[in-house]
Amino acid sequence: MIRHLFVFTVAFLVGLPFLWMAYAAFIPPERVFAGEFFSLQFSLANFAVLSRGVFWEGFWGRLLFSVLLSGSVTLLQLFTAFLAAYAIREGARLLPFFLVMLAIPAELLLVPLYGLLQGLGILDTVWALVLPFAASPFIVYLLYQGMKTVPAELLEAARLDGAGNRVILSAILLPLLRPQLIAAGVLSFAAHWNLVLYPRIVAGSEQLKTVQTWITDLQRQNPADWGPLSAAALAATLPLIVIYLIYERRIVETFEEGLKG
Amino acid sequence: MVLFLLYPFLDVLRFSTWDWSGLSEPKPVGLQNYRDILTDPDFGRSLLTTLGLALLTLPPFIVLSVLLALALDGQRYERAIKALLFLPGLVTLGGASVAWYTLFSPEYGALASLIPIPRWDQEVFWALVLIALFTLWRHMGYGVLVVSARLKGIPRTLLEAAAVDGASPAEAFRYITLPLLRPAITFLVVIGTVLSLQSYSAVFLLTRGGPFGGTRVLGYYLYETGFENFRLGYAAAVTVVILLLTLFFALAQARLLRGGEHE
Repeated sequence: MIRHLFVFTVAFLVGLPFLWMAYAAFIPPERVFAGEFFSLQFSLANFAVLSRGVFWEGFWGRLLFSVLLSGSVTLLQLFTAFLAAYAIREGARLLPFFLVMLAIPAELLLVPLYGLLQGLGILDTVWALVLPFAASPFIVYLLYQGMKTVPAELLEAARLDGAGNRVILSAILLPLLRPQLIAAGVLSFAAHWNLVLYPRIVAGSEQLKTVQTWITDLQRQNPADWGPLSAAALAATLPLIVIYLIYERRIVETFEEGLKG
Repeated sequence: MVLFLLYPFLDVLRFSTWDWSGLSEPKPVGLQNYRDILTDPDFGRSLLTTLGLALLTLPPFIVLSVLLALALDGQRYERAIKALLFLPGLVTLGGASVAWYTLFSPEYGALASLIPIPRWDQEVFWALVLIALFTLWRHMGYGVLVVSARLKGIPRTLLEAAAVDGASPAEAFRYITLPLLRPAITFLVVIGTVLSLQSYSAVFLLTRGGPFGGTRVLGYYLYETGFENFRLGYAAAVTVVILLLTLFFALAQARLLRGGEHE
């Protein structure tokens, strides 16, 4: 009994900010200023505020930009990681190197990356947001864990039948690793989507703002204007929640598999 | 790939010997930056803050992860709850911090109208607690997954045999389950330390280092010196120190925790 109570208390506390986020987005602005949060009146006024102004500089434009940006980075990461994981499986001695990199998030390397990007002359361009994330050690590791489970005999048989690396990768490993690829894709999308400091520093101009930067800017300018803030928070969070819920089983399972290994 | 991952490592060493603002011509100053770090009171303070925060976050993180994984094991709602617990780690940080801020802000926050909220905007201790809670909220799902993956690897028959031999559930936990969970716990402690040495997002979004610099963790200090005060050379040296500290702690803990395991 205590066990159920414990689990559900924790679950409730964890879920609370989400419930609040969904609720707060629809509170009418005048109620917020009056301090009456639980009056159970709802309006879409907060979302209307978000649509104001030039599309590309407003919230929805930034949201679209971020989706496209993080989406491309994810595809790029999956591609490079897929090849790298295959190379490691085939005997390239790179795994220790990747494990060390795993412990160091790109954002800690802000200073050297800043210098490097400046040296290349791509500071404040879209490349600054893409290139440093072209390869993720974490995704490589996750895919490598998945590839280890593919029996070597299978690949050998294919090779005897004359399949080259390209055929093995695209016709055998790609379909077999679908679950891992999906899980890795969602995680790398979320990781890029969630960068806070990095995009602000290397690409601060209006056309390159990510939705994160946009929200934190708004929060700083109008900390008291909760309605639009909450609406923006909800709209920026919802895509991830939806993707996650669709693939939730795959993600959790892949994770547990990877952790066992 | 090597360019963007390995090169920054070497580069940061080079930068760290410069007096450089990012715009000006870099001026080589040798090891001066490192000498400054040793005597910089702000750096010492933020190191202490970081360690304090880690102490505040890690024990509940480990304990809750183990307890939750145990409580969830084999329940009908196991999957649904795990999915929920994992969710905060994925959602938009900016969005999450907005929700937390509006929910918990003292005086005007939504919860403040129901229950008293400690003044974390004025008292350092409560600000640290808030950051710790936010961090827990985001990462607990991961911890539960790690422990639970390990838990599933423990053969049922082992526990059944113990029960037949007359061990109480508590004893079975103490002498069978816990020792077998050890690798997972080791892993969590190391990962947790590494992450807390480098964490700053929560600070950046919720307290901005305040009140009175009381939550200025190393990561945030790094950001401030580098990109608000534009002392990039110095910030590079700070990066090197953080990396070294991370490596040291991770290795020391891994060795310490593994040392207790008599295999």
